Amino acid sequence: MLAVRHKRDEFERQALVHVDALYGAAYRLTRNPRDAEDLVQDALLRAYKFWDSFQQDSNCKAWLLRIVTNTFINEYQRKKRSREVLDAATAEQDATDGVLVHAAARDKQSPEAALVERSISDDVQRALDKLPDDFRTAVILCDMQGLSYKEIAEIMECPVGTVMSRLFRGRKLLAAALKDFAVAEGYVKPATPESSGAGTIDLEAYRAAKAAREGSS
Amino acid sequence: MSLCKSIATVSMAYLDDELAAEERHELEAHLTECASCRAHLEADRADQDLIRHALVAPPAPELIRARLARSLDAADQAHGRAQRRRWSQYLLPGSAVLAAAAAPAVFVGVQAPSERAASTVAHEAVRHGTRSLPLEVQGASTGPWLRQHFEPSIEPPRFSEPGSTLIGARLLPRGINGKDGALLSYQVERAGSPFVLSVLVVRDVGDADLQDGRIVRINNRTLRVTESSGRPVVTYVDGSRMGYMFLAPELSVNELVWLVSRTELVGPQ
Repeated sequence: MLAVRHKRDEFERQALVHVDALYGAAYRLTRNPRDAEDLVQDALLRAYKFWDSFQQDSNCKAWLLRIVTNTFINEYQRKKRSREVLDAATAEQDATDGVLVHAAARDKQSPEAALVERSISDDVQRALDKLPDDFRTAVILCDMQGLSYKEIAEIMECPVGTVMSRLFRGRKLLAAALKDFAVAEGYVKPATPESSGAGTIDLEAYRAAKAAREGSS
Repeated sequence: MSLCKSIATVSMAYLDDELAAEERHELEAHLTECASCRAHLEADRADQDLIRHALVAPPAPELIRARLARSLDAADQAHGRAQRRRWSQYLLPGSAVLAAAAAPAVFVGVQAPSERAASTVAHEAVRHGTRSLPLEVQGASTGPWLRQHFEPSIEPPRFSEPGSTLIGARLLPRGINGKDGALLSYQVERAGSPFVLSVLVVRDVGDADLQDGRIVRINNRTLRVTESSGRPVVTYVDGSRMGYMFLAPELSVNELVWLVSRTELVGPQ
């Protein structure tokens, strides 16, 4: 049991210090404070179970974010899908019943929940909503969590090149959406559309071409 | 210059600090002479700043930590059940180790001669209850565990002092005076310095078990106060003959009585 105590201490020292960062990522991934809390809870409990498999010399935050991301993809996406199916079924039910009481009663049930839901659907969330999941995840891991391309590639189980192109396109879309909202709110003036044909994003190709040039000269 | 063609890639990698030192220097040199690439990099930087600023999320709610501690407790406990036989090696964290280890030195064999004959629960409790045995449960699951293993109706006493937390509990393997008992361990904060307070809970305590000690009436309830070498024990027996003995080597009698009077158990009715 000494081992258990030691494990708990180590876990608290190395992993639990990242709670705020993990919650931030979960908050932006789930786009809902309650789901974010559940996600962090589930992911950290999972991390604790597999703490022995954590390599002590590696980046703990990246390891935890991998678990958060995977848990999100596996559990929450599925839950969300089933909830959407359920919501659709309920909506259909309401419609066929021709009764509005259902909807009204549901709204009355949890005013706080409704409020919370509303408060997070701010401009940033609406902008994030527009991104494909992979783009959003890449942007969150890089711009919010400061992970390296390589760490993101390991988490998303894809090549570094793929990370870069997701990041590139995700940022373009997100920046454009944020500016759109800012324009709509009157914060900034609409810009002239910039040439989006920035070509492909490929650091390896750039390096290879450079090496080839240097080799031939 | 070929850098111009690849500026989208290189600018992004530069801003993300993914370029090798040599690549970085090459780009920086190029930027001094290429206004178009400079503009590209500055536009990228502005976008990144916009995104980073927008993505800032609120900190985790305070309650999440308590909730996490509870589920980790439960995970530890599940693990502990699997390894019950190894409990004798169990150690408490931090100050609890100290207090649990210090307690026997304080209590065992310190009864004054006049008290030696009286085999009251308080003294038995002190003799048997304060040995540095491992806790069998810790954290928020302590209450449910006690109800399952000791007494279905027990509610661990709560101190209204801020900073008082229940660390955990264990059963008293041989009981006290032949009666079942459990030891509850608390961490209590006083003037910023935490100390450990133990509460021994013993079933079926009657008058015969309570022969010595001073009687103190607080909130219409009777407390018995005994001292061993200046170390106080405060005993309270509730309506269902459940005895609660409070021990805190660090406290004076008055301090301990005051603290006990601030529990829900003995607090104002």
